[in-house]
Amino acid sequence: MARLSDMRPVYVIGVGMHPYQFASETLYIDMGLTAVRGALEDAGIAFPEVESAYVGCTGIGMAAGRIMFNHLGSTGLACTQIENASASGSSAFQLAVLEVASGRRDVSLAVGVDKTGDQVRAVQKEKVNRLSDTATIPLVKYALMAERLKKEKGLSAEDLAMVAAKNHTNASKNPNAQFRKPRTVEQVLNSTLVAGTTTSLMCCPRGEGAAAAIVASEDAIRRLGIAGGRPIRVKASVLQSEQPQVGREIPSVTLAQRVAEMAYDEAGIAASDLDCVELHDAFAIEEILYTETFGLAPKGAGQHFLRDGGSAIGGQCCVNSSGGLIGQGHPLGPTGLGQIHELTRQLRGENGDRQQPGARVGMAHMIGLGSISIAHILTKD
Amino acid sequence: MTALEKPDLYEIDGTGPALKLIFGQCAACKEQHFPHTGYGCPRCGARPEQVTPEARDGRATLLTFITLHAKLAPGITPPCVVAEAEIAPGMIEEVMLSGSAAQYRDGMTIVARAEEVERNGETVLACRFAPEEEV
Ligand SMILES: [Zn+2]
Repeated sequence: MARLSDMRPVYVIGVGMHPYQFASETLYIDMGLTAVRGALEDAGIAFPEVESAYVGCTGIGMAAGRIMFNHLGSTGLACTQIENASASGSSAFQLAVLEVASGRRDVSLAVGVDKTGDQVRAVQKEKVNRLSDTATIPLVKYALMAERLKKEKGLSAEDLAMVAAKNHTNASKNPNAQFRKPRTVEQVLNSTLVAGTTTSLMCCPRGEGAAAAIVASEDAIRRLGIAGGRPIRVKASVLQSEQPQVGREIPSVTLAQRVAEMAYDEAGIAASDLDCVELHDAFAIEEILYTETFGLAPKGAGQHFLRDGGSAIGGQCCVNSSGGLIGQGHPLGPTGLGQIHELTRQLRGENGDRQQPGARVGMAHMIGLGSISIAHILTKD
Repeated sequence: MTALEKPDLYEIDGTGPALKLIFGQCAACKEQHFPHTGYGCPRCGARPEQVTPEARDGRATLLTFITLHAKLAPGITPPCVVAEAEIAPGMIEEVMLSGSAAQYRDGMTIVARAEEVERNGETVLACRFAPEEEV
């Protein structure tokens, strides 16, 4: 298998977003165009320079991209729609990156845009029953895991609340975030109890929004006169799907570790090199589990890494400085590209009061229903 | 007789409320899986003709359980208890427990039994696990 490191270098040259928000009358076209125009402006290029586009969405319908791009001038660019559940935006980004890396295109766009409501899960058409009526609901799996870890290693409801309070507070400083209120551990614990010790503020909201990233080759960067220091290198791009459960670890957690390790290998880095990570905290416990499986904290010590401030902005490796899925939001199609938006700004040193000091290496890591897992490593060259 | 809610997963064991679970037994890899489906063996990919359904007693080891407080799926009425249980060596499934959490502890033996639930205005027999001594 060819790796990204065997192909020509690819850089993120522009990012843009439409804020994530609760379901509204806003049209997907308006949200998508806001994100794309933001990314074009950020890159300092015009739409006709973009040779291909990948559109990540789950709930809009067929051929959303063409309809959006008609309003930017019909340039005839190659246009493909991508659905990969929560990882749709990440997968759109991967394909744009690979297209430039392979030499097929010089400038490619990935945009994620979504509305709540029309998502249909294929698993419901499998015609295979499960013993439990909640067997395909990830929240229940993770709440069961939280219960088990409470007994096995003293993981407390306060630890879960601390993840959520950190991410809500990060989101309160993020103008693109769906939740804009700082939250305390007490407020998170006192929100509505959902399952086991998991409360509503420990879970990501449903919503809508858009995020976009433009990637380009070194040739294009020279030709387009993009200023040095701004392009952010994409050093790894890895996607895998889960294997049957072995023992008691949730298969998606085992998978997340495999993908992170493959990404480190492809990028030639170690976990200790990471300065900022955006990860899939659909539920607070996931952040604790993934900081361990990613090697940021020793196995079984995820809550200590959190309590000691290791994952705070300014800590060893800030985790979800955007607010993550819990705070920034999780509109599905855009989510993975919202992560790329955050990391790009971190690595450029443009992230304002959410800036991780001296950030040079970042990882965006997503899980998609099913499960699939996808990781990208970005570096400041 | 009252219909089973999910007859592809379980069958009545004798006359009582106890249920047997329907596993798939693969002739190609000799491995067992759950649930049995019409698609073939999920372990080795063998065609459906290679897999035979095999009903086994619904005894399991309770691993972890939690109370659901929100209506996370159409079929459930919170508060209700869901669990992870080992239904055969190395085979862990999410199951629904009978009654409230107070009567359960990790590691105990639980048994599948039929319990009446309402589905679209009709009464059907669903699979709920209960402490062994109760069944
Ligand atoms: Zn087999």
